[in-house]
Amino acid sequence: MNTIDYLLHGFATAFEWHNLVFAFFGVLIGTAVGVLPGIGPMSGVALLMPITASLTGALSPEAAATSSIILLAGVYYGAMYGGSTTSILLNTPGESSSVVTTLDGYQMARQGRAGAALAISAIGSFTAGIVSLIGLIFLAKPLTDIAIHFGPAEYFSLMLLGLAAVSGLAGKSMTKALIMTVCGLMLATIGIDPLSGVSRFTYNLPVLYSGLEFLTVAVGLFAVGEVFKTILEREGNEGSIAKINRILPTKQDLKDSAAPILRGSVLGFFIGVLPGAGATLASFFSYIMEKKISKTPEEFGKGSIKGVAAPESANNAAAGGAMIPLLTLGIPGSGTTAILLSAFIMYNIQPGPLLFNQHPQVAWGVIASMFIGNLMLLILNMPLVKVFAKVIETPAKYLIPFIVAFSVFGVYAVQYSVFDLVLLMGCGVAGYFLSKNDFPLAPLVLGLVLGPMIENNLRRALTISNNSLSIFIEKPISLTFLIIGLLWLAIPLLLKIRGRKVLINEEA
Amino acid sequence: MNKTFDRYAGIVFLALGALCISESLKISKGAYGSGVGPNTLPMALGIVLILLSIRLIYETFRYAKSEKAPANLDYKRFAIIFAAALLYAFFIEDLGYVITTFLFLFVGFQTMERGRVWSSLIIAAVFSFGVYYLYVDVLEGTLPGFPSWLS
Repeated sequence: MNTIDYLLHGFATAFEWHNLVFAFFGVLIGTAVGVLPGIGPMSGVALLMPITASLTGALSPEAAATSSIILLAGVYYGAMYGGSTTSILLNTPGESSSVVTTLDGYQMARQGRAGAALAISAIGSFTAGIVSLIGLIFLAKPLTDIAIHFGPAEYFSLMLLGLAAVSGLAGKSMTKALIMTVCGLMLATIGIDPLSGVSRFTYNLPVLYSGLEFLTVAVGLFAVGEVFKTILEREGNEGSIAKINRILPTKQDLKDSAAPILRGSVLGFFIGVLPGAGATLASFFSYIMEKKISKTPEEFGKGSIKGVAAPESANNAAAGGAMIPLLTLGIPGSGTTAILLSAFIMYNIQPGPLLFNQHPQVAWGVIASMFIGNLMLLILNMPLVKVFAKVIETPAKYLIPFIVAFSVFGVYAVQYSVFDLVLLMGCGVAGYFLSKNDFPLAPLVLGLVLGPMIENNLRRALTISNNSLSIFIEKPISLTFLIIGLLWLAIPLLLKIRGRKVLINEEA
Repeated sequence: MNKTFDRYAGIVFLALGALCISESLKISKGAYGSGVGPNTLPMALGIVLILLSIRLIYETFRYAKSEKAPANLDYKRFAIIFAAALLYAFFIEDLGYVITTFLFLFVGFQTMERGRVWSSLIIAAVFSFGVYYLYVDVLEGTLPGFPSWLS
């Protein structure tokens, strides 16, 4: 079968009625998650995992995985649509990848063009979603063909590259990012070592034998941590919400934003494919690029529609692009894709090159559903944008306790243990203090996910080579990965030494 | 950048790294492979963590003096909600999901903003019963039900 056949099969899967429902609820919840400040795509996806797990309980593992991932991926890219709504109407980004949208979006809203800004960001997001999916389809096959020849040594180096990329770009201080990465890897060693059966750091506590549950740590650090921040810092939605008058953009608006949308989509896609550089960086870069190539750069920041179209397209394209390393290599490049990876593993399906051979309906079903999901989002976001604008007004009084209760429900429904609930609260406190002091959380989460895989591949590689570390340098692909990883850490350092400002990725 | 926090954090991470090394010495080597046993990675991570935290502590000496005024944090509100959440976690198995969730939400709503007791009561009740009903009866999941002396 060739790619087109697989894709058609994927559409057959995605058009099964329950998968349509899953896609719909995924994008609907995703939009709401994007709109609500205080809950980002990452905590949204983490919180929904237990619910999808029980919803799909009756299906076969493969079908269950497909449906769950369809829903969870829907939340991920749906949040990219929703994030722009608060940026434009309230000047407060709903999540970090919409920060740049505030620059021109809010100005447009003040000029009474909020509707046009929202519509353009929805259209841009849709175009970008489609562009990134086409890229995904064309890149999936060649990438898996290469990756299928990877041995443990290549995988080990590739994962190190992933960690290096995330640590190099996350947060203000690379030292702190690296500390968080190492901590994540350390937390991952807790439990019984799968290769030797020796227990590590368990101190004879039965709850620790299976290790710390990834879901608990992620929900605690992100969702609960964010809630604690809101409680402590008395954050609220101040300022009034701009009115939406006319939703459809004018012909001039469309004409002006067509090129930025396309450029933003392509740029965002390629940035999304890179590990570590996520939607936030993509939106920054595309905004800067548009301003550079524009004939009238002085219009930017004063309500230029190009300044809304480009970053909003880029962040959505990046979300699609980020699915590529996840699906084809089995390696997450960001916090949110790390959670998606753990969702795959929960169903005993390992993403990576074998995914496309062993479970083609999962991989292609998810890809096809993203087409449908993007279409649904366009429909949801154009006429219903006024409804979502109302979501912003959800009072914090109710929202905050609800998020806590929901986190507790989510963790308990999967783990059935009080220990995990206490761990959840502990992670919440840790998450608040760490992120407040510029210790980025995404590297920790990524380390926790990749830890067992890294260790496994390291030991397998060393067994093959009779404990000689040179195996990582002798294999050309592995060496390339290691060099790129090293450069990824070294170049920002060099730039910093030379006094240049380095753009960092603050995405969770 | 908060100098004090970073310095203490550096010391904590340093201690963590040392602990990791000393504990990894106690892990039995295991029969798998020969050179790389289950203790290799924890040991290596411990060493890296120690190096990184020394670097972090060193960096804190170079911070420019921060003149940021201490933010006015609402510790009282946080303490109440955090304590309520911990009690919620401890008693969820003994008192059941519905009762603990209801109590937690009610306390949470009232702590966030006083007043409108009735709407808080109703929303808390609807959420706790609603989630329990949906999850246990419709989706056939498992949550701790009501305590035995009630049912």
